[in-house]
Amino acid sequence: MLMNVVLFFVVSASDAEAQKRFSRTYPATKNVRLRLVNRSGMVTVEGWDRPEIRISANLEAPAASVVPHSLSGTILLDLVRENQGRNVGNVNFEIRVPRHSSVDIETLIGNLSVTNVNGGLVRAIITSEGDITLTNISAGAVDAQNGIGDIFFDGDMHKGGKYRFTSIKGTIILRIPLESSFQVVATAPSTRNIDLGPFRGANMRFFSDGRRVVGQAGEGAATLTVTNQRGNIGFLRR
Amino acid sequence: MTCEECQENLSTFLDNDLPDDLAASIQTHLGLCADCAKVCEDFAVILDSCREEIPLEPLPPNSQALWCRINNIIENEVRPEPAAEPEKPRGFFARGFSFMQLASAAVGIAVISSLLTIVGARNYFEPTNEDFTSRSTATQTTFEKVLSKVGLIETPQQSRLKRLQEQQAAIEYWNQRVQVRRAQWDARMREAFDRNLNEIDQAVYDYTVILEKDPQDDLSGEMLDSALNEKMNLLRAFAEL
Repeated sequence: MLMNVVLFFVVSASDAEAQKRFSRTYPATKNVRLRLVNRSGMVTVEGWDRPEIRISANLEAPAASVVPHSLSGTILLDLVRENQGRNVGNVNFEIRVPRHSSVDIETLIGNLSVTNVNGGLVRAIITSEGDITLTNISAGAVDAQNGIGDIFFDGDMHKGGKYRFTSIKGTIILRIPLESSFQVVATAPSTRNIDLGPFRGANMRFFSDGRRVVGQAGEGAATLTVTNQRGNIGFLRR
Repeated sequence: MTCEECQENLSTFLDNDLPDDLAASIQTHLGLCADCAKVCEDFAVILDSCREEIPLEPLPPNSQALWCRINNIIENEVRPEPAAEPEKPRGFFARGFSFMQLASAAVGIAVISSLLTIVGARNYFEPTNEDFTSRSTATQTTFEKVLSKVGLIETPQQSRLKRLQEQQAAIEYWNQRVQVRRAQWDARMREAFDRNLNEIDQAVYDYTVILEKDPQDDLSGEMLDSALNEKMNLLRAFAEL
């Protein structure tokens, strides 16, 4: 027992030593854009009212290279390119951006979360596994894609906006205001489980034996495409 | 950055000879622009195949002597042919064509050229964003159906098959690269990759089975195309690690 306790503290101490923390703050222009390409780890982005971007990261492997570039209004971090051919473990990011920022994140494995952002674009791509949670989003274009994992979108839709949600296996839930105006094509070919919730009505039609729904809400001002190859799709009222 | 600027610099970018700033801008643009990303991918494939070692062809021990022998054989085989008697000029209708045959040929040529002109004009004046490969029989116009019947344009099924072959070739290429890199990944990465690939393969299998039973099921055709694209993206992303 005593040996176990000692071993626990030794392991915890060595873990703490192995972790490396990275933190940097950049002044942000009005229409700043954040682009992050991560290999694996959790990424959390939150909008705030300060005109600056703060990037904090916990690196599992101290050898991982995190080099942000600031290029004419874009803050760019590409961990795949910077660490090509090396095992760098998880890199967990916590990022604060001005609310009006555009956010563009890609990762191979790990959960992505974006909150309180109302810039031009929110793009969240997980190449393989991980959940995408987009909360309180008001962007002109939203693109969320993952392999295995759930997608949750809570936000509103702009006139002329484009919204795309794609998953291989998981559940896609869209929580949008009842008065939203959009044209929708929602496809769930495997489960045929498309729950239109409050948007069910005469303007929505099921096609191909219930595998696809095509329809319009309000005047159809935005374009919404939802595809879930082997999972369910659901709509909730915001 | 515009697509034009991006594509002008792609070759240098792939050679890693660009300044960091410009390389980063291109990287950013490639992340957002699917067309440029495709061009970049094609470029990378070409460069990669050029870099592959080409085995040297074995040379004969005395190549000069071999060439002399080939030359002699050719000279011996080529004999001057007897000069042909000049053909007497014959009348146009005396060549074996009847007036009716010529008239039918003229009408045929007129019809075909009209069809081609209409197709050309339609393509020129009415370009659509819709990719024909993703078109279904249901969305084909009557005119397009007629053209596909006479073989002037591909049917959606033919287009799908062609696209499928292209996708399979790209998947094969990226899969080979993944196999080379795979040993360097950690166990978690390998497991996640395999799980995702299995899901996609299962989806591909399901759609293929449906399409074998019902080749006209356009939704399954579209989903198969989408699943194969997902597979390609997964392989490409992991091949770059």
